[in-house]
Amino acid sequence: MTEQQPPEEQAAPRPAAHRGPPVEVAAEVLDAQGERTAGALRLALRDMAIESGGRDDVPWVRVARENLTRAVDSCVRSPNLRVDMLHCLFAVDYEERIELNYALFSLGKGHKALLKVDLPPDEARADSLTGVWEAAAWYERETHDLFGVEFDGNPDLSPLILFEGFEGHPGLRSFPLHDYEEW
Amino acid sequence: MTTEQTYETVDMMLNMGPQHPATHGVFRMVLTVDGEHVVDVTPHIGYLHRGSEKLAENETYGQVITLFDRLDYVANLNNELIFCRAAERLMGIDPPERGQYIRVILAELNRLASHLLFIGTYAIDLGAMTPIMYGFRERERIQNLFESVTGARMMHNFIRIGGVKEDVPPDFVPRVRALADDVQRGVEEIDRLLTFNEVFLARTRGVGVIDVPTALSCGLTGPGLRASGVAYDVRKDYPHEVYPYLSYKVPVGENGDCWDRYYMRVLECYESLSMVRQCLDQMEEGPVMAQMRRIARPPKGEVYVHGENPRGDIGVFLVSDGTDKPYRVKVRPPSFCNLVALRPMMRDAYIADAVAILGSLDIVLGEVDR
Amino acid sequence: MRSKPVQLAIAVVLLVGVGVLVAVFTLALALLGEPGDDVTVLTVGKIVIALFALLTLVTTLGMSLVWLERKQLGRMQGRVGPTRVGPFGLLQVVADGIKLLMKEDVSPGSSSKAIFYVAPLLVFVPSFVVWLTIPIGRDLVVRSLDLGVFFFIAVSVLSIVGLILAGWSSNSKYAILGGFRSAAQLVSYEIPLILGVLSVVMVADSMRFTDIVDAQASVPYLALLPLAFAVFFISGLAEVGRTPFDIYFAESEVVGGPFVEYSGAHWAIFFLAEYVNTFLVAALGALLFLGGWTWPFGELEQYPAVALFLGKTYFLAVVIFWVRATLPRLRIDQLMNVGWKMLIPLGFVSVILVAVQRFYGWPTWTLTLMSVAVLGAAAFVQLRLQRSDAVATAERYAQHAVAVQPSRSRPAPESQQA
Repeated sequence: MTEQQPPEEQAAPRPAAHRGPPVEVAAEVLDAQGERTAGALRLALRDMAIESGGRDDVPWVRVARENLTRAVDSCVRSPNLRVDMLHCLFAVDYEERIELNYALFSLGKGHKALLKVDLPPDEARADSLTGVWEAAAWYERETHDLFGVEFDGNPDLSPLILFEGFEGHPGLRSFPLHDYEEW
Repeated sequence: MTTEQTYETVDMMLNMGPQHPATHGVFRMVLTVDGEHVVDVTPHIGYLHRGSEKLAENETYGQVITLFDRLDYVANLNNELIFCRAAERLMGIDPPERGQYIRVILAELNRLASHLLFIGTYAIDLGAMTPIMYGFRERERIQNLFESVTGARMMHNFIRIGGVKEDVPPDFVPRVRALADDVQRGVEEIDRLLTFNEVFLARTRGVGVIDVPTALSCGLTGPGLRASGVAYDVRKDYPHEVYPYLSYKVPVGENGDCWDRYYMRVLECYESLSMVRQCLDQMEEGPVMAQMRRIARPPKGEVYVHGENPRGDIGVFLVSDGTDKPYRVKVRPPSFCNLVALRPMMRDAYIADAVAILGSLDIVLGEVDR
Repeated sequence: MRSKPVQLAIAVVLLVGVGVLVAVFTLALALLGEPGDDVTVLTVGKIVIALFALLTLVTTLGMSLVWLERKQLGRMQGRVGPTRVGPFGLLQVVADGIKLLMKEDVSPGSSSKAIFYVAPLLVFVPSFVVWLTIPIGRDLVVRSLDLGVFFFIAVSVLSIVGLILAGWSSNSKYAILGGFRSAAQLVSYEIPLILGVLSVVMVADSMRFTDIVDAQASVPYLALLPLAFAVFFISGLAEVGRTPFDIYFAESEVVGGPFVEYSGAHWAIFFLAEYVNTFLVAALGALLFLGGWTWPFGELEQYPAVALFLGKTYFLAVVIFWVRATLPRLRIDQLMNVGWKMLIPLGFVSVILVAVQRFYGWPTWTLTLMSVAVLGAAAFVQLRLQRSDAVATAERYAQHAVAVQPSRSRPAPESQQA
């Protein structure tokens, strides 16, 4: 046994409850940094933004599917935003629509923002960002695997994390959790 | 009549993995090799895909933490922390200060354990046998501490939404102090043995170089990105928990080669130890868990939170529909994104370099495949 | 666990066993006739007995290195090594050997079976045959050839063929890569090895091992030819594929190289050959540079002399294992650079130094001086420059790290306010 016994004097009295005071539920608002980012986003996207919101320091902006490449391009070029990294791509299946969230980071300026694109589930198709960021290739392949979203311009949408020949898109809400056949 | 046969040389496809000893799990890369030169590399992942994100949609918030334990199974507490932070942002909870200190101490110790494992396995990738024994010896001390605090050596489920599960044992502070001194000695020992070893330098310096634009384009984060010269650390740039109270250094490299990526992690080991010591100095008695409902039921909404894992920048995108189960959990796994940078790094590499480069990325397949 | 006295008794028995092996070998040699004898059934029988005694001795010594390596590496890495089988885990090697022999011998379906099964023998036989002329004591040698050193070099090269055939016949990509690597490595490193040995031969004026050893009765050649020893030892490491030159069977790259498809007894033969070769390099180092069974304090009896020789050999083996515990593995191009750009020129320099010293009849200490000067310069250029650059880089990183100061001030703890 290598563990030494606790010294006697360390056994200080402990507070009775280990739970702290109740907390206030914060509203969904942007903080100062988030406001700055949101302002820069508004400048960069102008009329492309359909809807916007955000929480803490991550504002989000919804753009139309056709405008995706143009919006990303202006985010990259905008002198105030200077997005330099595609942090991640999240897809959310809201059943009536599939929402793509592009997490755009600007490490130089410290901005973080989400770019949202809604896709109709029957024609889930978006432009690929592989020309802008190499990382987009794998994110898009994964999204293609799990949600069946087609990315126009991605040279290789072969299965990445599912095996070849897997049928269905397990990320979708309609995909059953249990009753599919094991291969 | 003589039969004339024409021979032509073709590149050889070399399948490395998923059962190759140097691929750190079930990773497979198909190398196209011309003799010993690597012409092209195609990574294949997915052998460990368990559908964690899909599973998380069917678990309550408390249960999702256990799934996060199993993503990056070398840095479990860092993973728990990021999910709990996401859920807390969604619910607008701030854990009590002591809880935050315990979280940071555990997370930094886990980062240390993860880096020690990296150093050991990296050395063994390059053919040095001894550092992994030293690394595991030091990691074992940390695991023992975790066991006494959380009850488990790996799958802790200790960091909870709103704080930590329970207060630390009474002898926690002196034990961690002694542990920090021991581990410091151990890290120095490995550092002396390996860092400036001529053969090690020859194998890692100038190998797998990646420049900043490519690294950013590939989404490389963590020590890999810092080795290229970008001083980006979530703890520094977007301070959370009690990190704003601490003073520390973020090591930044210049060359972006394998040795830099290795050395960033060695330096981070020292910084983590320093952070743990500062936390011990500042920590006070108090509650460790915020007062909240037993079953977390965040209001409707979505949140994106990211944090610094040993391997890089982990992100959690959490969508709540107001029930006790998350509507969607999406993880941005740092290893997954770092793997994208494998291909640009492999330019002009030898087969032996392929192993060195993959090792320097420090991937964990549980996180890559989820 | 057995009691301590029993364990010690077994250890003593094992030690005595090695002595008995040496004695049997001596007796077998006494049985052996002269080269001019008529070939009869009796002489052939005597030769078979002598060879069998030699094989047993060499195998035992090779296996002892397995134990030594595991134990030493364990101690160096904060472990204890084998402890369970026999005293100090001495019988672990035997247990492993039995296990390997009992395992199923699997071969890939697409391999060339005949070559696949012959290849291990092609590796093992040369490493055994060279022992015909390597003395373990003044008279303890099967045939003390005039061209003993030449014989050793000529025969030991043959094991390359076995490695290449093993890699090729396995029909596996890792194996063929390992085979190619072994061909490149072993052929390249024969040259510096020969140059290192050549310096010794030039100083001793003989190619007979016993003459070379006797010439070192007062001063071992290590003191005269440190440069030649460095060249010999490094290329010897490469010849037997020890770290940092374990490139052709690198586990983390080619997963065992030529041996990747072998199992059971055939793999055991490869394994044994590797350790017999390691012992061979250590023994050669002891014979050619450390003075073999002689020491400067007078002549020894036969068995103490053998013990002295084995002690020197084991010392060099310990150094080899120590290197293994310390160094990572080189890359194939770096391996070639070390061989062709460093060791071969140094080997030639060593030969030239000896030639100059012999030609002009300078005193022998000038040889030491010149060797040390060249070796020091080479070591400085090769090792120091690269390292100093890395150290400077590391210092810069440590200094230029972005310092983060506490951005929020925290109320002082109550204990300090009070």
